[in-house]
Amino acid sequence: MIQVYNFTKIYKLSKKQMAKQKTKSNIKKAVDNISFSAKKGEIFGLLGPNGAGKTTTLRSIATLLKATDGTILVNGYDVVKDSTKVRRSIGFLTNELKMDTHFTPGYTMAFFGSLHGLSRDKIERRTEELFSLFGIHAFADKKIGDLSTGMKQKLSIAVSLVHDPEVVIFDEPTNGLDIITARTVTDYLRALKEQGKLVIVSTHIMAVASRLCDKLAIMINGRIVAEGTIDKILKDTKTADLEDAFFELYKETAKGGNADV
Amino acid sequence: MFNVILRKELKRVFTDKRLIFSSFILPAVSIFLTYIVLGMMFSNMVGDIREHKASVYVQNSPGSFREYYDTISNKVNMNIEFIEADKIESIKDSILTGEADLLVEFENNFEAKTAGYLDREVPPEIKTYYNPSEDYSKDARGNFIDQVLNGYEREILADRFGNINYTTAFVIDRTNEEGVIVNEEKAKGKALSMIVPMLIGIILFSSAMGIGLDTIAGEKERGTMSTLLLTPVKRETIALGKVAGLAVVAVISALCSFVGIMASMPFASNMLMAGGSGGIPEFTLGQYGQLLLIMLSLVGVNVGLVCLLSVRARSVKEAGSYVAPVFMIVMVAAFSTMFASGTPETYKFAIPVYGSISAIKAVLNFELGIDQFMVTVISSVVVTLILIKAITNTFNNEKIMLNA
Ligand SMILES: Nc1ncnc2c1ncn2[C@@H]1O[C@H](COP(=O)(O)OP(=O)(O)OP(=O)(O)O)[C@@H](O)[C@H]1O
Ligand SMILES: [Mg+2]
Repeated sequence: MIQVYNFTKIYKLSKKQMAKQKTKSNIKKAVDNISFSAKKGEIFGLLGPNGAGKTTTLRSIATLLKATDGTILVNGYDVVKDSTKVRRSIGFLTNELKMDTHFTPGYTMAFFGSLHGLSRDKIERRTEELFSLFGIHAFADKKIGDLSTGMKQKLSIAVSLVHDPEVVIFDEPTNGLDIITARTVTDYLRALKEQGKLVIVSTHIMAVASRLCDKLAIMINGRIVAEGTIDKILKDTKTADLEDAFFELYKETAKGGNADV
Repeated sequence: MFNVILRKELKRVFTDKRLIFSSFILPAVSIFLTYIVLGMMFSNMVGDIREHKASVYVQNSPGSFREYYDTISNKVNMNIEFIEADKIESIKDSILTGEADLLVEFENNFEAKTAGYLDREVPPEIKTYYNPSEDYSKDARGNFIDQVLNGYEREILADRFGNINYTTAFVIDRTNEEGVIVNEEKAKGKALSMIVPMLIGIILFSSAMGIGLDTIAGEKERGTMSTLLLTPVKRETIALGKVAGLAVVAVISALCSFVGIMASMPFASNMLMAGGSGGIPEFTLGQYGQLLLIMLSLVGVNVGLVCLLSVRARSVKEAGSYVAPVFMIVMVAAFSTMFASGTPETYKFAIPVYGSISAIKAVLNFELGIDQFMVTVISSVVVTLILIKAITNTFNNEKIMLNA
């Protein structure tokens, strides 16, 4: 269970960042007072264009960033005050590959398994499960640096899920993957949902959102402009597909005057 | 958890051929080769001056001088040429360029003037021309006065007194066999303490620097750090594990450098002992223990510094640019202990790095007091703890850790 209450995140910008973003203000409100909740057994999607604040939101849920304002609870634990407990129950994945290329997949699994406090047996069992699922066995003793991009991506999923977390957070799950690897990943996310896990993903791709997610929050410019099942969003916006719904909502925000995208 | 992180840090280094080469083999071999080359140059320089046959030009010399010189010419290591006055200017030019070493000019009527000493107020003069910036020239002048002119003077005096023995008023230390009052061990220590503490200081820092940049800043650059931050391990534990891992590697790397130095000893001892003949003095077990503790606590400070700077940088390159100025400061601190004479005031031992290197020097000199030892070690431990705390805080800083 993820509960987000009045979450706001303001970044302080360095001089360099101010120059890069062509702004005179030294702060950036990336997320502006959003609230939503997601339950186990569902895939919840944050859908929005670049810079909407999706990554910021997911990183805050994953305890990597601290909220400027508001509260986030994961399975009832506050992500700031009980960050260690929260980290035990989440697996956070991104499309950026973040593993030491010098080690082997087998060692990497064992290392992170130990850091999560798993017994050797449990680590072996999880490694066996996840490696067969993603077809990593054949590469288990090669250096990660020698694996293909798709294989590394699969391995990074396996590593992030070694502790079998209740909550799986995935930033842009299919970004940069070929169609076959992308399919393996989305199939696995569905399987996790079937196992009763809570899966939360971010995406800017309509097709991913509509095919994968049970519930959506559409984010534009740091705010949630629509939330609920896809059917509910289509009904609310009186549109026939998600893309039309998105542009309908986008026009409204523009009218509302806070679209400084 | 600490163990898991420490073991991984060590495995990272010890299974990577590139890192093994760059942090253990390369420093040892390069220090070995450097010292062999420097040591040989140093010995050559010393030996060269001793062997050099000085070229001395003598002008206007009286016949009695030539006669005297013939009797000793095979005992002095000089080549004397008797010249005419017209050559003087060209000889002076040669002395300036280092081709000639010494020009000696006798006053006119030298013999008559020495013989008529009863009627004269001042004795006649012998002028020497030499170049003090050239070792050969400086030594030639000293040797010429000691070995040639002093003897010649005694000949002249012997003529005046009628007996060569009357020319000797006293002798220095003829029967005194205990004239040299020195503690052998301390003398050896003194020679050792000239250069060695500075070397230790620099090696201990550079070994931490090399590997710290690669493992810690590298980890951030590759983005693997954030995966670590997502595990339920306490930030303190991660910081400690990293520092400890780096410390172990730095110590081993420093040991390799010392092996390199020891291996170069047969060629470089002359230089490392600052020209002293000594060898290693007999230290007590307690002194070895002190040395070990001082060095280990210094490793803590070095590793803490390198870790902190590396963690705060986005990339290996950036970390390098932070660490380089610190390395300069460490080098200056190390060098300044070389020129400090005597033991510094006790409070100075609390200065990180400088205090430790001074303390190492004082141990080698048999001069380190227990209070100074305690100040050194406690100050280093406290600084290390502060640095670890700062590293932990950095791990909690989202802006720095996510390179945002
Ligand atoms: N560390 C940071 N410092 C300053 N500003 C930031 C930082 N991270 C993100 N931002 C800004 O905050 C806003 C939201 O960024 P965020 O990465 O959360 O968006 P996103 O929805 O994930 O976009 P994308 O689809 O491009 O990944 C953007 O304007 C971004 O420039
Ligand atoms: Mg993003």
